[in-house]
Amino acid sequence: MEQKRSVRTGNRLYKFINNENTVGNVFAFPFIFGFICFSLIPMLTSFRYAFTDYSLGTKTAEFAGLKNFIMLLQDEVFLKSLRVTLRYVLISVPMKLIFALLVAFLLTRKSKMVTLYRSLYYIPSLVGGSVAVALVWKQLFARKGLINMILQAQGLKGVNWFGDQKLALLPLILMSVWQFGSSMIIFAAGLKEIPAVYYEAAQIDGANGFQRFFKITLPCLSPIILYNLVMQTISAFMAFTQAFIITEGGPNNSTMLYALYVYNQAFKYNNMGYACAMSWFMLLVMGAITLIIFKTSKFWVFNESDQ
Amino acid sequence: MKKKLLSIALSMAMVISLTACGSAQEAAPAPAETAAAETTVAAEEPAAEETVAAEPEEDITLTMAWWGSQTRHDRTIEVIEMYEKEHPNVHIEYEYYSFDDYFTKLKTLVASDQVWDVFQLGGNFPQYMDKICFLNEFMASGIVDTTNISDANLKITQDTEGNQIGLSNGLNTYGIAYDPAMFEEAGAKLPADNWTWDDYYEAAETIHEKLGIYGSSAFGSSDFIAGCSTYVAEHGTVGQYSFFNIDLSGMGFDDAQMLTPYIQMRADMIKSGSYPDAGAEAEITDIENDFLVTGEAAMTWVAVNQFPTIYDDCQADGRTLALAPIPKVTADGPDGAVIQSSQMLCVSQDSQHKEAAAAFISWFQNSTDCNNVLQGERGIPVNSEVRAALSATATPGQQIMYDYVDKVSGFKMPDKYNVLSPDGQDQVVDNYRNYIQQVAFGEISAEEAADKTYADATAIFN
Repeated sequence: MEQKRSVRTGNRLYKFINNENTVGNVFAFPFIFGFICFSLIPMLTSFRYAFTDYSLGTKTAEFAGLKNFIMLLQDEVFLKSLRVTLRYVLISVPMKLIFALLVAFLLTRKSKMVTLYRSLYYIPSLVGGSVAVALVWKQLFARKGLINMILQAQGLKGVNWFGDQKLALLPLILMSVWQFGSSMIIFAAGLKEIPAVYYEAAQIDGANGFQRFFKITLPCLSPIILYNLVMQTISAFMAFTQAFIITEGGPNNSTMLYALYVYNQAFKYNNMGYACAMSWFMLLVMGAITLIIFKTSKFWVFNESDQ
Repeated sequence: MKKKLLSIALSMAMVISLTACGSAQEAAPAPAETAAAETTVAAEEPAAEETVAAEPEEDITLTMAWWGSQTRHDRTIEVIEMYEKEHPNVHIEYEYYSFDDYFTKLKTLVASDQVWDVFQLGGNFPQYMDKICFLNEFMASGIVDTTNISDANLKITQDTEGNQIGLSNGLNTYGIAYDPAMFEEAGAKLPADNWTWDDYYEAAETIHEKLGIYGSSAFGSSDFIAGCSTYVAEHGTVGQYSFFNIDLSGMGFDDAQMLTPYIQMRADMIKSGSYPDAGAEAEITDIENDFLVTGEAAMTWVAVNQFPTIYDDCQADGRTLALAPIPKVTADGPDGAVIQSSQMLCVSQDSQHKEAAAAFISWFQNSTDCNNVLQGERGIPVNSEVRAALSATATPGQQIMYDYVDKVSGFKMPDKYNVLSPDGQDQVVDNYRNYIQQVAFGEISAEEAADKTYADATAIFN
């Protein structure tokens, strides 16, 4: 009897451990825990603070209604940072995706070195967001930095990258384009999925390389382009490190990216409530833009099930 | 098969987490014991206060942080090690930052009630008042020794009610450090004691034209001190105007246009290239890579405690720097200069070891050995004996600093002045600097910039 029962409980334990729900929950636990503690709770707290005048200095949070949001519309620096960030996103995301697709396309050839090259091109993305790289970038584009030395060696005039408000954003955009690795890997995986028979058929029909690329590759890849576009747009809106390290927002706030201004308001100017309101405003903007991308996607994303 | 693998993996995970728990449990009693030890000590303390209080026998870990340049970091770490050697039971964990990062970190620590036991503050202390443990009781009990610190020098780090907020690290004032050789080479007029901002502008333009370098290096956030705090005080009679009023409850002047000439001058200098633009300015990370030190500018704004360091740096390159007063609005008008506490060390309200922290601060200001290492890098020592000991062995750069502060002390100063910054000033400063950029780019006029700055500053008090 005793033995039987222990076997039965053993069995039950075995069944419990092997139950797919248990397994799933156990493996998902670290994420669920992290999400609740480090994302959900802070987000809800920040939503509450967005309607207060909370400051890290005094630590008092008095209800202020919509005051923060009304102040936003009168804040010159806020409006400028919004424009700068939109400009940054509109230029950097397409450039990055085109570049990533190009490199991924070139690396689909069957050659032994492809894996090596892919790893090499992925490296910038591994180190990309770090402070160290931003400092290197700052040196490269400095008045007497490498880029200007090369320009001068070619007999051209050095460019005052970070002193000219029309140009200052460009090095920051280039830095984000340079980190094309993760989009490239996803594109490369997508390219592999396109059946070779399409290309063979097209070739027999006499299609040239460009036609094959625009008529086969791009449509087949469009769901992946959509995915990359959404992900990169969202991460571009959150760009912070470059502006914080390299330009501190200057000159004349022409590189005052939204995230940097949120940071300044929260930690430098002690207006945490205001910064929270800004963050939620940004969430609305990002949500709207993502929605637009999804809504328009039916016009340009090719879906096999529709055919 | 898959299931089996999964169950093995799961049981492995469980085993690992169990062992992890086990080791955590083993480690757990240690902190509990020390906590118990602390409470017993705390219980005993009242009885044996006089003998034990200042030098508790238990091992203590103090945390400390400061901002500054590499020279300051090196010297401060050296004296911390010296203190640990003298007091084997005290261990000091230190952190150091640049100015901006220091205050960012401090603000997060304020929010989480974990401010360092010993921390450095300057004229912006009012916004951290809740976190400062006054030194009054430690001075009364003798833990903080103020025998050789004059009342006047204690007063510079007291609040209006006479609470001792900290002990000043040193006396300080501002000045313009310059390279006379560059002035002579360019044929510019050398700064006199009563030189004006017009002289400053002329000299910078001449030097830029003749030598192709910046006439003046970037003032950074001190452009606000120069163009607002000092510039306003240089108008009228001594003490008539100040940017903020004495008790930081409003503005200390009415006419916003008082700020215009400085803004116009600065924008003109950026346009002509005699002053660094924002891009070049961002390349300056601390005083030791200032363009004056790198040889790309002929003068720069300094807090005089920074002078000996850059003097030595330039001396190594065969250049000799000199120190001139802040330029004035009119040659016979007020100087606008004030002697102030450069910064101070404070004890934090969050500290578990306030007495030990106060004892360290006392040692930091009063020990001659300690200050022989620090060499007045934070300003001229407030302890008269320490100051005498240091002046006896002063390097040429330090001697210039001592002489300069003596000279400025002789200037006519208002009876009452306030060098503190109200909460919210940081944003005014950043906006002010940005308006200057806008004037330089021709987006707004200097008059508009002055009005906007005045409006920003007024908004603090609403």
